[in-house]
Amino acid sequence: MSDQAYFSCRDLHAYYGESYIVQGISFEVAEGEILALLGRNGAGKTTTLSAIARMQDPQVKQGSITLAGQDLTAMKPYEAARAGVQLVPEDRRIIPGITVEENLIIAQISEPKGWDLERIYNHFPRLRERRKQEGVTLSGGEQQMLAVARALARDIKILLLDEPYEGLAPVIVKEIEGIVREIKELGITTIIVEQNAVAALKLADKAIIMESGEIVYSGSAKEVLESKALREEYLAI
Amino acid sequence: MISDNASFYKKDILPVTTFAVVLLTMPFWFRYIGGYSGLDTKIVIWIIFAIGFDILLGYMGFLSFGHAAFFGTSAYFTGLMLLHYSNNILPAITVGVISAIIMAFIIGFLTLKRTGIYFSILTLAFGEMLHSMVLSTLQDWTGGDNGLTGLPTPMLFDIKMQGDNVFYLTVIVAIVMYYIARRIIGSPFGLMLKAIKSNQVRLEYTGVHVARYKLMGFVISAVYAGVAGALMIVYEPYVASEFMGWHLSGQVVIMTVLGGVGTLFGPMLGAAFMLYFENVVSVYLGAQWLLVLGAIFMATVIFLPGGFVEAGSRIKKALTGGGK
Repeated sequence: MSDQAYFSCRDLHAYYGESYIVQGISFEVAEGEILALLGRNGAGKTTTLSAIARMQDPQVKQGSITLAGQDLTAMKPYEAARAGVQLVPEDRRIIPGITVEENLIIAQISEPKGWDLERIYNHFPRLRERRKQEGVTLSGGEQQMLAVARALARDIKILLLDEPYEGLAPVIVKEIEGIVREIKELGITTIIVEQNAVAALKLADKAIIMESGEIVYSGSAKEVLESKALREEYLAI
Repeated sequence: MISDNASFYKKDILPVTTFAVVLLTMPFWFRYIGGYSGLDTKIVIWIIFAIGFDILLGYMGFLSFGHAAFFGTSAYFTGLMLLHYSNNILPAITVGVISAIIMAFIIGFLTLKRTGIYFSILTLAFGEMLHSMVLSTLQDWTGGDNGLTGLPTPMLFDIKMQGDNVFYLTVIVAIVMYYIARRIIGSPFGLMLKAIKSNQVRLEYTGVHVARYKLMGFVISAVYAGVAGALMIVYEPYVASEFMGWHLSGQVVIMTVLGGVGTLFGPMLGAAFMLYFENVVSVYLGAQWLLVLGAIFMATVIFLPGGFVEAGSRIKKALTGGGK
């Protein structure tokens, strides 16, 4: 692996307490690239994302994570966020008790700022309609939209999307797909985790398949889409 | 945000003006409901204390059982300054409030890592530690159980700080501090406090150094306690050891809950009610007054979790025909 990769994980080992989840994975993502991180339930995909976002759990006991020349490995969650990592987790992590707009404002309090409110609202007119509503009262799709918008409100270097289509109606899935495509056009480096992989693969440049905490395949997204054998063996699709 | 700034000011003018008018006219109407001069000053001092407490409990969501530590520390330092340095209240109050701020940095740093009941217990423990230090280790300076006595009459340069002078001084300070509290709550920092209350972890992932903001919220709250503690000594130049005790910490909790947590207005009402009840109504109730107060407190918590403010909005709703 080259030393100058935009984003890289090297020999990453992550634990939830005693359980050994991510067992020594290495990969890199080039600037502006979209990486699909695939695999069955329990393969360690979400754990990998959480480790990159420097969440308190899992614990990274070995290995390193670097982004644009900065070493994230020892950072606290807020430091990683300031360094440009934005995780949009499965539960979307909307802050309760405050409005849609306040959720966006809060994301802009600490530097560096990204899109301003006007630009966000122009891209997500639905959020403008609902700006005075409490964030957690939005529908699932709208919350996903808010979570992505909140990420864009910060000047991010890498976006981590954890199962963005999870539990959403097909219409909303289309909408989210549109958002992700836009993210791609904007050239935001992204790692997208998906179980139901087709949607993610269509958008991604590269793909990694994980199984039992290890990487079992690494290559182009197109290759996975076209290879029936790969899909049957690891993804059950 | 920027376009909202103008409405921020407008939003503040009416409540702050009303607050100012009610307090400033107090000497004229308070005696008709059984009040007396001196009690009005005390009420205003407690209102300042309660405002600061509500910033911590109502907005940031941290229940401190040791806020007497800041009230008391400031009271002692104000007293010591008056006694040993100068009878001018300006340096005395300044040193008093600064001492409360320093104390808040220390206690806040050590306690804010925990939340919920653990935070409450820790603050109680620190408060009681200071209280017992005042009574034992430090009694050569604090006067121990007797309190700090023999303070000179406080002066603001050539003005004697007694009676009405103290009252109007505290009222002016209260108006300014109420206005500041409203501005804090309406600012991005206030939004941050609300987010800390609802979910600290989520806030952290938007790049916010949550621990630092929590400490700031805590210290701001302690400034209010410190100002109240210092003014109490200006009002009555004697520092009682109870100013450091858990009873005082408990009182401000009860006031805030009675009035309505997280409303700023409620805790002020709660403070006024408690002092009025303790000093005026209790005369008619005799020895049972504490029992009645306890019953009122329980009834409020059970039936009106939003305190007096909730009662007010329910009455308003009923009067307007149960509509929206």
